[in-house]
Amino acid sequence: MHLAPASLLDADAGDARKISVAQVLVYELRVRDAMSKPPITAAPTDSLRTIQELMKSRRISGVPITRDGLLLGIVSIEDIINALDHGYINEPAETHMARNVVSLRDHFSLLRAVAEFDRREFGRFPVVDGNDHLVGIITRGDITTCLMQHLERRAEEAIAQEATLRAGQATDGAVDQVVVRAHVRTGDYDSAGKVSQRMRQVLRDRGVAPEIRRRAAVVAYEAETNIIIHSLGGEIIATIDPDKVVIEAIDVGPGIGDVDQAMQEGWSTAGRLPRELGFGAGMGLPNIKRCSDVLEIVSDGQKGTRLRSEIRIRKPGATT
Amino acid sequence: MKTPAMHEFPPLMAALGAEPLTDHMPDTLAGCYISDLLSDVLAHAEPGMVWLTIQIHRNVVSVAATKDITAILFTCGRRPEPDIIAEAEEEGIALLTTPLTTYEAAGKLWEAGLQGEHADE
Repeated sequence: MHLAPASLLDADAGDARKISVAQVLVYELRVRDAMSKPPITAAPTDSLRTIQELMKSRRISGVPITRDGLLLGIVSIEDIINALDHGYINEPAETHMARNVVSLRDHFSLLRAVAEFDRREFGRFPVVDGNDHLVGIITRGDITTCLMQHLERRAEEAIAQEATLRAGQATDGAVDQVVVRAHVRTGDYDSAGKVSQRMRQVLRDRGVAPEIRRRAAVVAYEAETNIIIHSLGGEIIATIDPDKVVIEAIDVGPGIGDVDQAMQEGWSTAGRLPRELGFGAGMGLPNIKRCSDVLEIVSDGQKGTRLRSEIRIRKPGATT
Repeated sequence: MKTPAMHEFPPLMAALGAEPLTDHMPDTLAGCYISDLLSDVLAHAEPGMVWLTIQIHRNVVSVAATKDITAILFTCGRRPEPDIIAEAEEEGIALLTTPLTTYEAAGKLWEAGLQGEHADE
């Protein structure tokens, strides 16, 4: 395949191993972030004449045909020209529209959208959600505009941050703090990863580097499954600040007998069911330790365990 | 950070004869990791990889999302429940299944060129 976005946007000819901001954006931004919405649509019973007038007044060259939000087909300017040529301009859209329209899902990455534009040579794609409902329309122009806006925002953020640092002002953590918390129930294997998922979303929205996001996600996921597997229940709290993520896992017992032993790779007290599900490899705490910048574990045989992991967020470009 | 060499996904899956379970399929892979232990995957898998496993419960999708894993290939003919497939679709993770054992599937991927080299090595 041709990595169109990379070649299109890779302005950084310096360190080849460094991924440019635009490349990261094209992976992270979704079709739903760039598409035009709400889409301008027509009903299957609308005449091609009506659609022609719609195209003229809204300055568009393609109109999706929907019923109850579901995408049925599309009428393009070529269809209108043919209708005028052959004298069926007053007939309903459903008799002449293109069916089996290729659409994109709203959660697709822009990278994938660009690849689809290259592959199919269409000017636009209708965008549908998980229930096949039409939610927008996307063109190459929409993608470019979206990327430019995000790059501009990143640049402004970087400039603002630099100004703050230069003025010697301490960042007021409370302003940008997001707390994600959830109760975790014993044996609720199906819910594992909920806090991790929400936290990842916040970090992604903030443009935190993928490597740091993954480390935080691993800590949250392992801490959450530890509570599910080993404790009588507890809570997990992820506090996201501009400069760090703090993940706290607090359970009500029965506590870790020997924390040093539990930190050894391969040591596990998990029972049969979690092991069959692929948990209990004895790597949870070692994984958390590997991914944390600071880790504290306090365990009391009576009261339970309190784990606190800190992951520092370094801004891209900052010296490590 | 290592920049993995990218391998084209469609020829690899064609060589394997794997059945796609999601609409979403990637264009490229950065490599492969094999394990049925979730923590092991969290520790050692790299983003962009295909993960071979016999585990089919929904935690595999959470783990793959946590590590930005591109695709999960279920071996020994295993296939997850539809709601798990839907969840993977939502996360943009490709799911596939093959009747081959993990060993056989890995052998075919290796033969097809997915040999885990890195661009800067």
